[in-house]
Amino acid sequence: MSRPFAIETHGLTKKFGKFAAVRTLDLGVAANRTTGFLGRNGAGKSTTIKMLLGMTHPTSGNATVLGRTVTDERANREMRRNIAYVGEDKQLYRYMTVDQLIRFTRSFYSDWEPEFHQRLLKKYQLPLDRKVKALSKGMRTKLALLLALSRRPQLLILDEPGEGLDPVAIEELLQDLVAAAGNGTTIFFSSHQISEVERIAEQVCILDEGELVADLSLEDMRKDYRRITLGFSDEPEPRRFSLPGVRNIQISGRQVTLVASGNSDAILEIVRDMGPVSVDVAPIGLREVFLDTVKTGVA
Amino acid sequence: MLWYKAWRESQGTFLMSAAAVSLLCLAFALLHKEASGGISNEPLTYAVYIWKIVYRGYLREVFVILVLLLGMGGLMRERDNGTAGFTVTLPVSRRRLVLVRAATGLLEVLGLAWLPAVLIPSLSAAAGESYPYAQACQFALLWAAGGSFIFMIGFLSSCIFAGPYTPPIAGFLALMAYSLLSDLPVAERYSLDVHDLMSGTGRPWFELSTARLISPVPWIPAAVFVLIASAFIGLACGITRKQDF
Repeated sequence: MSRPFAIETHGLTKKFGKFAAVRTLDLGVAANRTTGFLGRNGAGKSTTIKMLLGMTHPTSGNATVLGRTVTDERANREMRRNIAYVGEDKQLYRYMTVDQLIRFTRSFYSDWEPEFHQRLLKKYQLPLDRKVKALSKGMRTKLALLLALSRRPQLLILDEPGEGLDPVAIEELLQDLVAAAGNGTTIFFSSHQISEVERIAEQVCILDEGELVADLSLEDMRKDYRRITLGFSDEPEPRRFSLPGVRNIQISGRQVTLVASGNSDAILEIVRDMGPVSVDVAPIGLREVFLDTVKTGVA
Repeated sequence: MLWYKAWRESQGTFLMSAAAVSLLCLAFALLHKEASGGISNEPLTYAVYIWKIVYRGYLREVFVILVLLLGMGGLMRERDNGTAGFTVTLPVSRRRLVLVRAATGLLEVLGLAWLPAVLIPSLSAAAGESYPYAQACQFALLWAAGGSFIFMIGFLSSCIFAGPYTPPIAGFLALMAYSLLSDLPVAERYSLDVHDLMSGTGRPWFELSTARLISPVPWIPAAVFVLIASAFIGLACGITRKQDF
């Protein structure tokens, strides 16, 4: 049974002059799952997130978040009551103290949970009387996360959450996200750090040059994606490898490497009939899928 | 809490402005004998001196600059600082964000406009002179009306332009352009010069020889500038609504 979508976009497009940062994006982010939004720098991830939050107006197309149309101002405002957003820079009001910022933020949300907020405060060891401008980036991230999680939002959107953090801080952040997901929060986070995404995401959407180029379940990827390396005694004919389920074909002399996104048993059966001298099958990680999917030019 | 935020963001500029206005009032009232010779070769009555140096002269010019600067800030500045994302994603409309900031700024303009009305009469008494509170209060009302218009020029500029320097520069240029245009005969016929409204210069309700406002507060011209300022707030809401952050 298909899951309901927390986020849905149809033909979502954003142009800055002649440059299209996001092109006719059709995206579906399932509710109650953790979805990674992967792409290179400048792929259009942040622009997409900004459109979903109503920060940026789409040039065309539409989107719904938690069932509310993002371009409808009133619906968008209501939607923002139920979601939390942690931006890329984690910039917060520098002139406020931690305590003042917490009081400021909680005043906008009737569903703020004081007990959970106190628990997070204790866990993160944030100094209440310190000004935000005196916090390190790691502390700022914790504060941003506290502000986001203290009301247990239905949907948590994060833009490059691990950016600029040290490995320990990234690990803590990922653990908090896993815990939030465990509490029923849908998480949608952008990243260009494949390891982050692979650690916590269940679903991955890959964006490249403003277009959605892959939408896959990590479980399915681990189960179905295979790299098949074949050795032949003569240089093979490339056309023979254009088979259902083959995503990519690379031929280097007498060696052929296929990337299969499914159907690998059937593919193996067919290629074995071609008389290879060697056959090697290996599972593929997200990194390889990502590099294979985006137009990197990396062999 | 948006009021608290708007106050925290503008309090530095407001408090420094209030300190500057207070210090100038203090200096102009207490050093009137020394300063009087600097602005006129002929002996001036105290009321004329105060009008020339405060209500038409230096203090008014300083007030104009300060209220223009009070209009700076807002979401475009926040975009530069990286906090616009946090603010815009709060569950409040952009219209409310603009209205609260504008209202806070206008209250601060009101406060600045009333400072001379409180300080000049009392400091004049301390300096052995007298300046009527009624006159000072009437000028305060005119400054509040004119100040709200000038504040909104700065406010609009900061809604349109990003960066630390562009909004104040654009605001000053817009004010200069307005000042030049308002000196044209056609504009003078309709009393569209806010500087003249604030000082009373050339207006039928102001007597130049005694430098006093001679009739009740000119509500209509004052209201015209307040209405224009209100229209600017509507414009700022419309501009902000369409912006990308």
